[in-house]
Amino acid sequence: MKMDNSLVNNEVFVCVQCHYCRVCPAYSVLKWESVSPRGRIYMLKGIIKGEIEPDGEAVEDFYKCTTCGACEAVCQTSIPLIDVWERARAEFVNSGKAPLPVHKKLRDVAKKNGNPYGEKRGERGRWAEGYEFKSGAEMIYFAGCTASYRMTELARSTVEFLNKMGIDFTYAEEDEHCCGSPFLRTGQRDIAYQFFRKNYEEWRERGVKTIVTTCSGCYRTIAKDYPEIARELGYKWDFKVIHTVHLIKELVDGGKLEFEKSNDRVTFHDPCHLGRHMKVYDEPREILRKMGYEVVEMEHTKEESLCCGAGGGVKSQFKDLAMEIGKIRIDEALKTDADFVVSACPFCKLHLNQAGEGKIHVRDIVELVNERAKPLNTGKT
Amino acid sequence: MIEGVPFRDDFLERYLCSHDVSSPPLIKRFFKIADGVFQPEKEEDVLRILKFAEKKKIPVIPRGAATSGYGGVIPVRGGFVVDFTRMDRFEIDEDGRILVSEPGAVWWDIERELNKKGLTLRVYPTSAFSSTVGGWIAQNGYGVGSLAYGSIAENVTRLRVADFRGVNETENIHLYAGLEGTTGMITKAWIEVKEFEEMQAYAFHVSPEKAVKLVFSSDSYSALFLDEKYIRMKNSVHSTQIPEKDTLVVVSKKKLDGDESLGNEIWEARFYPMKIKRLGPGIIPAEVIIPSERLSEYLQRISGWNAGSEVWFIKEKLCAVLSFLPWDERKASYTYQWRFAVKALKTAKKLGGRSYSSGLYLSRESKEIFPGYNELLRFKKEVDPHNLLNPVKVFPSGIISKIMALAGVF
Ligand SMILES: Cc1cc2nc3c(=O)[nH]c(=O)nc-3n(C[C@H](O)[C@H](O)[C@H](O)COP(=O)(O)OP(=O)(O)OC[C@H]3O[C@@H](n4cnc5c(N)ncnc54)[C@H](O)[C@@H]3O)c2cc1C
Ligand code: SF4
Ligand code: SF4
Repeated sequence: MKMDNSLVNNEVFVCVQCHYCRVCPAYSVLKWESVSPRGRIYMLKGIIKGEIEPDGEAVEDFYKCTTCGACEAVCQTSIPLIDVWERARAEFVNSGKAPLPVHKKLRDVAKKNGNPYGEKRGERGRWAEGYEFKSGAEMIYFAGCTASYRMTELARSTVEFLNKMGIDFTYAEEDEHCCGSPFLRTGQRDIAYQFFRKNYEEWRERGVKTIVTTCSGCYRTIAKDYPEIARELGYKWDFKVIHTVHLIKELVDGGKLEFEKSNDRVTFHDPCHLGRHMKVYDEPREILRKMGYEVVEMEHTKEESLCCGAGGGVKSQFKDLAMEIGKIRIDEALKTDADFVVSACPFCKLHLNQAGEGKIHVRDIVELVNERAKPLNTGKT
Repeated sequence: MIEGVPFRDDFLERYLCSHDVSSPPLIKRFFKIADGVFQPEKEEDVLRILKFAEKKKIPVIPRGAATSGYGGVIPVRGGFVVDFTRMDRFEIDEDGRILVSEPGAVWWDIERELNKKGLTLRVYPTSAFSSTVGGWIAQNGYGVGSLAYGSIAENVTRLRVADFRGVNETENIHLYAGLEGTTGMITKAWIEVKEFEEMQAYAFHVSPEKAVKLVFSSDSYSALFLDEKYIRMKNSVHSTQIPEKDTLVVVSKKKLDGDESLGNEIWEARFYPMKIKRLGPGIIPAEVIIPSERLSEYLQRISGWNAGSEVWFIKEKLCAVLSFLPWDERKASYTYQWRFAVKALKTAKKLGGRSYSSGLYLSRESKEIFPGYNELLRFKKEVDPHNLLNPVKVFPSGIISKIMALAGVF
């Protein structure tokens, strides 16, 4: 097969095969070279040199990667590995070797419904029954698919919090589409571009200037991938994209928000898409401390943090692997003796709660903030 | 293949386990790829693999993290790769200050645990984030701490080794260290560690001659010299602004009058010697051991090559010089530029030095690397009469060593 992407073509020759990237969560569980980042790079190099024609098993192993970025953080030669994985996956898709069956199914489903969960598009905003939204505002809340259909308490907490704070915002309900993250991560770029167009037009129509997300996956996609896609497609990109933790931190720093204090001991799980992908580490911890929590760190934290195991299409295609990785993270959390784990991503919360099987509870920071928020100035911000 | 022992023989895994960090031109076409990859979980698994290989007369090639660059892990004649990844348990005898480790344990994982107990490794390679106990002993390298403590072999007190006859526990470290699994597979090692002490890195802008004097007049723990060209290369890929001058870094518990902040900056980057590969992309390495009083002359003689060098000082007034010539691996001229490695070795030998290691590519150098070479050869024949334990490595035979000998002529 051909591997035409220029980034992939250059970077594979930069790798020294040092194996520092053995920190990979998938490799830690499976132990075979073909699921190590070093092995993936060597396989790509082999394809480029015409020494290997990947078969189905080889492509499957290549996809046993959550795109968590742990490899990129330690890479001896600073290879932008997340981009390499994603671009290479797009090449597998172009050459007909991918998507893998479940990823293809997600695509078919999402094409029809605007979300990969197979839920009806008209029900996207069902969680929001009882709330009222303006049709236009400078800020839009982008709920994302997981919070809209599976972790609705996060969407509700966000909206309640924004309302408490008197923030002027809009929400697109059924006109919000999947951000495209699952498809960018699995190499199915074309459908992500379609979603980009739909969301973009919706935001323009509503006069939006700032997009706020509670989901770290959506945040990474809209803040990092969308500007690139806009450039590629010739759209003007002037939106400000923030995660709820940025907004909360700003309100706290601006003296507009205080909290009912808690003495609980908590540990923060850095979502890969918020931490390593976007370098947001301190804000959630500072917010938790302001809330009175004792924040204890797991052995691997911030840049070294372990992945929950769900991302990059791993949970959908390789459930057992996702669970194994999740269990390792839960074990680390248990060792801290924290009362519960806090994260800032519905996908992490969902997955870690499943992997933890009730041994320790995982909550999202926006839920805690909403429960304990004491707005000091409810004037419009 | 062998019940209960993790094994794969699909093309991808075999392909991926048939190379090391080196990218030598041309000769790769003479290498086979592995017939399969075993991942033993315990010593008994290793014995079963050896029995199976002996019965079928198939080579067995031990593999740690495959971070070595002399071809030691390459299954040149095919055979089974024995990947020690899963044998990574270790214990620390705090009172005796001894680490007892399986071969697949990674140096830095061990260091983290030692530190928790107020202990630290005496020596470790700068690949410590990934390289393994078995791999470094089998390679017998020098590294951080070698100024005070010598090679890894000098710090190993006992080994357990598996061969076709069974398992043997021995204090004859020299029968295995540096021999790259050609005389047996290391299944356990006893290694001396030391008390953790606060140390500081100090930088000095000095010539190689002065560096040698400074290093051997103090009793420091470790010392590293970077030449101006190497620093220039580092700056361009690390986006650092280290003064582009010959620089010595000495690590010591005593206060020295060098630059602490620069010393720390360079010391922290010690784990990334190959970051400069981005410049090629590709590097041609030349690694030699020379008497330290000839260091300046050696660096002078290879200076026409535009390679950058880093030098690790070793007790007994030796130094390991590692020089890198960045070159685009995809260019036809890459093959030609490998003359650099050959010329550098020739230069070192003229100055009383030798190759850093042997392995596959430089097995013809073994006689000079191992003082008791003939005894080792006899031992090899005794334990491995069918030449199945990592064949063609260390003890030269076959086409590769002939090609390498030919390369030496030019
Ligand atoms: C970034 C970087 C820095 C480096 N720094 C140093 C340094 O400071 N000093 C240095 O000496 N080297 C250095 N090296 C080279 C290499 O890392 C060392 O030789 C290393 O210790 C090899 O360990 P490994 O686990 O990767 O072994 P491998 O490369 O897997 O194996 C090395 C040899 O040992 C054999 N072997 C492996 N396991 C066993 C076993 N259990 N029993 C018997 N034989 C076995 C293999 O067949 C092979 O011949 C560096 C390499 C890199 C990439
Ligand atoms: S992105 Fe994460 S899962 Fe993927 S190869 Fe890198 S470390 Fe492994
Ligand atoms: S850390 Fe980077 S350079 Fe080293 S093997 Fe992994 S991808 Fe290659």
